[in-house]
Amino acid sequence: MIDFSIYDKQEPKIYGYKCPKCGTAYYPATMLCAKCSNRRDPSGIVHPDWDKFSLEGPCKLLTWTRVWALPEGYDRPYLLFGIVEFPNGLRAAGQLETENPVTGMDLVAHVKESSERPGPPVNVFVFSDD
Amino acid sequence: MTARVGIVGIGQIKFGNLSEYDLVDIMAYTATDALIDAGILEDRRIIDQIFVANMLGGMINHQTGIASALVSRLDLEPTAAELVENGPASGASAVKLGYMAIASGMANVVMVVGGETMRKVTGWEATDCVATLGHPEAEYDMGLTFPALGGMFARLYMERYGVTERDLALVAVKDHENGSKNKYAHIDGTCTIEAIHDSPNAHVVNNYVAEPLRLFSVCPVSDGAAVLILVNMDSPIVEKFKKKPIRIAGIGSATDTHCMHNRKDPVEMGAVKLSAERAYAMAEVKPEDISFAELHDPFVILELAISEEVGLFPRGKAVEALRRGETGIDGRLPINTSGGLKAKGHPVGATGVSQVVELVRQLRGKAEKGRQVKDPRYGMSVNFGGLANNVITIICAKD
Amino acid sequence: MAIDALEMKLRPPEIQLNPYPSKTITLANGKTMVVREAKREECGVLLGTVYPLLGVPTDYYDVVAARMFSELLAWFRYRIANEFVIVGAIDGVIAGIVTSRCVNDHLGMSLHTLAIDRGLRVGAQLFAAKMEHHIDYLNEDEVWIVAESPIGFRRWMIEYELEDRSSGFPNIRHELGGVPTYALTRKLWEKHKADKCTGTRPVPANILATADRLKMPEEYPQILGYKRSKQ
Repeated sequence: MIDFSIYDKQEPKIYGYKCPKCGTAYYPATMLCAKCSNRRDPSGIVHPDWDKFSLEGPCKLLTWTRVWALPEGYDRPYLLFGIVEFPNGLRAAGQLETENPVTGMDLVAHVKESSERPGPPVNVFVFSDD
Repeated sequence: MTARVGIVGIGQIKFGNLSEYDLVDIMAYTATDALIDAGILEDRRIIDQIFVANMLGGMINHQTGIASALVSRLDLEPTAAELVENGPASGASAVKLGYMAIASGMANVVMVVGGETMRKVTGWEATDCVATLGHPEAEYDMGLTFPALGGMFARLYMERYGVTERDLALVAVKDHENGSKNKYAHIDGTCTIEAIHDSPNAHVVNNYVAEPLRLFSVCPVSDGAAVLILVNMDSPIVEKFKKKPIRIAGIGSATDTHCMHNRKDPVEMGAVKLSAERAYAMAEVKPEDISFAELHDPFVILELAISEEVGLFPRGKAVEALRRGETGIDGRLPINTSGGLKAKGHPVGATGVSQVVELVRQLRGKAEKGRQVKDPRYGMSVNFGGLANNVITIICAKD
Repeated sequence: MAIDALEMKLRPPEIQLNPYPSKTITLANGKTMVVREAKREECGVLLGTVYPLLGVPTDYYDVVAARMFSELLAWFRYRIANEFVIVGAIDGVIAGIVTSRCVNDHLGMSLHTLAIDRGLRVGAQLFAAKMEHHIDYLNEDEVWIVAESPIGFRRWMIEYELEDRSSGFPNIRHELGGVPTYALTRKLWEKHKADKCTGTRPVPANILATADRLKMPEEYPQILGYKRSKQ
């Protein structure tokens, strides 16, 4: 049976992965569970792929920087980046959209599609005030 | 019983903008200097094995199989040769593999060549190429570059240990003071604390790159090459070399999580600590025995952080030693006597090899006037293959 | 008299421009750069400074040097309207030169920026001085800017968030050629000048005196092995 939903407009998402054997969560995805050594098969054909869950919502800012020397493809004077921690303990790096970042502040993680990097569009975390 | 390994020849080209020259030509030119230093230019076929360190040749120079190309450039067929790529730790990895080849008995004379030409592309393209070291989805796709990761690390470390921007500027002043006397350093000039921090102009002259890191907190983009000739000190072949070998006493390496954000405490660099412990154990020395060190500082904050992780200072206390001048050339524990990556430059594949070249120059007593460490016995280098996720520590000894 | 009359016909009409007030900047190496307006009678040393770079293709030095050489000569010979030239000098030795001109009360036309000393942000500082003169001292509302080199483009277009006027071509066209024209408006200058433009005024007489007689550089980082005294 064909999954026609793949042709629908997709909301950009970034996923965490959960080991089906022991439940340990990971971001980004791993290939071997650190806790129980269970393996992941991204194809899901030989071995099971792991359950994935959307990473978004409330998070805490651990550290940040404003970068003035951006790489090829970014035509802006600067970009803010941060590392956040989610309530489930997972951490992520992404772009910050808050003008006065302070370590420890509460933010909300969203995902957007970005074409700034050379190559095809990619999903990017944006951490903002709301 | 593994063989002892010593360094009997060194070569380095002045780091800088060599973009009009071919990468492999630069490596071959520098290797020729090392062969001459070792006294084996005519007899170079006693080299059993060549390891070439390079990270970005495929991406920037559109060249692969670089070790094979170098063999012919030096008329060294049929010597065995392989390329080693471990990001910016390619150099130290190549030294480690060279050591292993001799210690295992598979080779008696090894040439280690590190080289990179990053300035064939713009600074922004070079930054993008180096950014591929990061996790492709969780770091690279987000737009993160190594200055961004360095900035975030710096903020965490500075907030935790009370390090100020003036302290970062002090590291730069020290590094440039050393680098200005190093004939191989990229940056010839010095800088003053007044100009890059204290003066009202300083915020423009020393502008932010990745806050809180400024222009004078980050290393330049460089081209260059460095070469070592290693020998089995327990083989009669050592008599062929005119210079007394500088022994590689210890090597340690370790890894940590690929993503910086996945470290238990992103300020702690477990791989640095472990690689140093392994190197100390192999060399049978302790941190107190180290006379001077070359620490991987593409961002000057790392000089402070690494010096603590390897046990040269208690955690959080490196900045006090800096302020007291202990890490200057006349201090108790000179750090980055070559100028470090900050002033010497950072052609990524060459860096790890050039750090060991500096260890040898100091241990031989042949560094330039004004930057020679007094009576050094053990020198240590720490080379990063990312932001502390792949680290190699090398200790050399003057026996 | 006839020659004078003909000469006057060949000269463009001139606006009396406000002078640029000199300033000093402490560069990263601790040296002081005097930033001041150049005088026509200094054209010789300026031309001599630019000349060796005519043969340096890297980083578009050859194009910039060639065009700046003509701008300086035209300025000296009164064949270009309302041009001003600002130099940066360290111990009297020219570290960089910028050329620009005033089109009218409202509009400036940025010409070129040439930095000889490298690694000290001399080019960035002199470009900022040029913009400072256009907007703060000549009171123009905006300055049109183009770039020949990718480094120049990046530095100015992105760092100053210059407005892209290329869609206005050909009515809006920088006089250096049919290239994309960007504009620094007063609003953008006010936003960015604190981070880009610095300097101390007034300049003490003894320091200004070091830049009284401008000297051509003996060496050029761009030209390996060049020594002026050996040419």
